[in-house]
Amino acid sequence: MVRLIDLPAGQAKRLADLECPDFQTRPWASGPPLAQRRVSVISSAGLFVKGEAAPFRGRDADYRSIPLKTPAADVLCSHISINFDRTAFQEDWNVVLPLDRMRELAKEGFIGSVADTHYSFMGAIDPIEAENHVRELSVRLKQEEVDAVLLCPV
Amino acid sequence: MSALAHYLEEEGLPTVAISLIRPQTENTRPPRALWVPFELGRPIGPPSDPAFQKRVIRAALRLLDGKNGPTVLEDFREDDPRSVPDPGWQSPSTEVPAGNIPSITLAELMEKEIQRLAPLHERWIDRRDRTTVGLARLSIGECAHYVASWMMGDVRPSPWTDLSSPMMLRFCVDDLKAYCLEAATGDLKPSGKQLRDWFWNNTATGSAVRMMRKILQASDDERLSRIVSNFMVPAAQIKPDD
Repeated sequence: MVRLIDLPAGQAKRLADLECPDFQTRPWASGPPLAQRRVSVISSAGLFVKGEAAPFRGRDADYRSIPLKTPAADVLCSHISINFDRTAFQEDWNVVLPLDRMRELAKEGFIGSVADTHYSFMGAIDPIEAENHVRELSVRLKQEEVDAVLLCPV
Repeated sequence: MSALAHYLEEEGLPTVAISLIRPQTENTRPPRALWVPFELGRPIGPPSDPAFQKRVIRAALRLLDGKNGPTVLEDFREDDPRSVPDPGWQSPSTEVPAGNIPSITLAELMEKEIQRLAPLHERWIDRRDRTTVGLARLSIGECAHYVASWMMGDVRPSPWTDLSSPMMLRFCVDDLKAYCLEAATGDLKPSGKQLRDWFWNNTATGSAVRMMRKILQASDDERLSRIVSNFMVPAAQIKPDD
């Protein structure tokens, strides 16, 4: 088990104290039962599809699209931080972007369906800089009839 | 991720976030989160364990069916079975460089090591049908040569117009690390820590990256200095004399 006390003190403090805007509202969206929902996954691992999009540079606040049909072999991680484990992703992309598992859960009827497209941001970006990109992404997600989003940080 | 969740929920999209750092999630309060006791970098848990991964995802997605907002933070109690060392794993044979060797000697050792690991890496690709090497868009030998040049004071321009030289250097280092770690994993199940400790303490490539960081962080180029200082050697692996 890894907890903050297992990390170097400076890194642990930075992570625990990471700032988030002090939002004045607590939005809570709801949807149909899980077995009817269409789910998209958003990773913050700085993932991109090689040959299709540019890797993330620095703390780019925009996002990259990862179509469901993308082979695992085409997805690379360009996250700027080196202070997280990458060996698991090297062995199995599902630890970061669980698209094979989502397909299985849809087949089992646990969720309704898997969205055609999934997404990645870079982690530890400025939330204010990311806001417009996220709101633009929300339009795409709704066009794709997504009504559940699984957020996977690294 | 908490801010992303907030914006998406404002737009009417229900979200659930995996949380790797509970205090951070307690501070930022996304609408729904499942804290998992896993190492940073593996939010869904152990690699190559579909049953475990699905238990994590099911636990997270079930929070979407709950009605008890405005914020929900639950815990996933199972530990990652791949966080413990595999006693059967044996690291590849490498030549551990002695301390204080000249940069040119260490660079040569790194380039030879990369060649020696090639059969193991080819085997990795054969078994997995995949590699995460590729950020620099160079062969791994060219990545090693690019890093070696910088170690010896030959500030090479980036071969790509869309990547600056410091970014190219970072991507070459990322590719070298991925190549060595993939080659070393083999057919067993070493923990991430086993692999990282091997790479940073028992390989010429790890030693070369350390030396390059030490040389270039004194650079007058502030951006280059910042990149090599912060984005080459993990904080947990930095030694007092690095």
